Amino acid sequence: MSEKPDSYEVAVERLEEIIDRLDSGQAGLRETLDLCREGRELVNYCAAELEAVGAGLKELQLDELAARLDSSASPS
Amino acid sequence: MSLPGPFPVGIYAQRLQGWMRERARVQLIGEVTGVGRSKVQAYFELRDSQGAVPCAIWLNDLEKAGLPEGALRDGAELVISGGPDYYPGGGQASPSFSFRATHVRLAGEGDLLARLEALRKQLRAEGLFELQKQLARPLLPRAIGVVTAETGAARRDLLAGLRRRGWGGTVVWAFAPVQDRHAAPAITAAIQGLAARPEVEAIVVTRGGGSLADLWAFCDETLCRTVAMLRVPVVSAIGHERDTTLIDDVAAVACSTPTHAAEAAVPLDCGDARRDLQRSASSLRRAGEGAIGARARHLAALARGPARALQRERSGLNQKIREIRAASERGLAERGGFQRRIATVVLERARRRGIERATAAVAVESRRGAGIERSAARSLQRRQEALRRAAVTLRAHDPERTLERGYALAETEAGEPVTSADRAVAAAAVRLRFADGRVKAKIEGDVEREAG
Repeated sequence: MSEKPDSYEVAVERLEEIIDRLDSGQAGLRETLDLCREGRELVNYCAAELEAVGAGLKELQLDELAARLDSSASPS
Repeated sequence: MSLPGPFPVGIYAQRLQGWMRERARVQLIGEVTGVGRSKVQAYFELRDSQGAVPCAIWLNDLEKAGLPEGALRDGAELVISGGPDYYPGGGQASPSFSFRATHVRLAGEGDLLARLEALRKQLRAEGLFELQKQLARPLLPRAIGVVTAETGAARRDLLAGLRRRGWGGTVVWAFAPVQDRHAAPAITAAIQGLAARPEVEAIVVTRGGGSLADLWAFCDETLCRTVAMLRVPVVSAIGHERDTTLIDDVAAVACSTPTHAAEAAVPLDCGDARRDLQRSASSLRRAGEGAIGARARHLAALARGPARALQRERSGLNQKIREIRAASERGLAERGGFQRRIATVVLERARRRGIERATAAVAVESRRGAGIERSAARSLQRRQEALRRAAVTLRAHDPERTLERGYALAETEAGEPVTSADRAVAAAAVRLRFADGRVKAKIEGDVEREAG
């Protein structure tokens, strides 16, 4: 699965599944390597999501947001 | 026309007034709007979301009611007692209908609770409590909207809660009055404004504690219906734990404090999540490396396996070879000894028999030969023939011939045949006689008896 997960919770849920499966020791070599690769992608995605809310709290007023979004597509 | 009349309208107006005043006296509860005063009475409308009634109260009745100063104001929740009345007007004055209040009081908790309960029952019956609860709440929103008073502890507490989460996303404030008759429409508009922004992933509506009357805006039917229909999850934290406003029922999550609301709006503790993620990353790394490492070690072990197995087989075979060699040497030695013993015995007997027989034959011949000359010549040939046969027989048993076939004769130093193992041991040294010569041999060890 190299597609971007739908959300952090979906990513974390899948990540937990993967780690449970790996911890069970039942995955063969091919599956293990695939799971590790998928897991790393999920970790990277989650890390990026956490990074996005790691810079420090920003405050905006609704009308400021509206004004800002009218000129650009992103709030930051 | 079969209807009665026509009657003079003034008479009818007065009769109408009379009829109205005979109606049952009741209490009404609702929100006051449009307060006005004349010299003798106060006017207002009492309304809720479903309708309104124009009301009037004589100022002296109002005074007797003993309302707190300024209590009769727009937005106040009042309970009024009275009944319908009709002012018939006159030649110049306009007629009007009003509910003539003779007593008025502020709605108490009990009144409000009763109203709230009715409204709650209705919204629940419409299924409006469930809609928000079915929405997926993002674990880690990047932006949340907050509706609250611009000044107040709720705003500060919420921010503190968000920071404690380790969350550094964007808070979009939509400030609104939270306690007067403008509150409910303003809050509704603020929520709608936030919900219209696609980047806002969750909305918090919060204010500090107060009486149910203070929190009444959050029981507003329009506000609550609006919240129920939103596609963005709403987290409510209105008043204190014991206060339950209607917005708490329709919201996705109801919290008791702004701090809890922060946790509900950002369900993920970002600090924990970072640590968890690091653990997950390590698990994955370990699993990946372990999978390769363990298998590589296993493969290496397997690769070493055949060599080890061969080595094992080889030493096993070598051992067997040694055993077989030892066994066969032992067997050969035993067999050889047995054969030699047989040969010696057979040869000795045969030799003696041959010699005896030949000697006897010579003796008989010489005894007879002297006396019987006639027969001598005749029998000589026969006897020579017999002698020849005996010699052949003897020769057949000649040890020398046997020795030529590979047997050996054991003799003492003195040349006597050694005919038993015991003797051989006793002699300690023997000579083995082969067809082409003799060799000395030492006897070692004890007799090994033949089994059977």
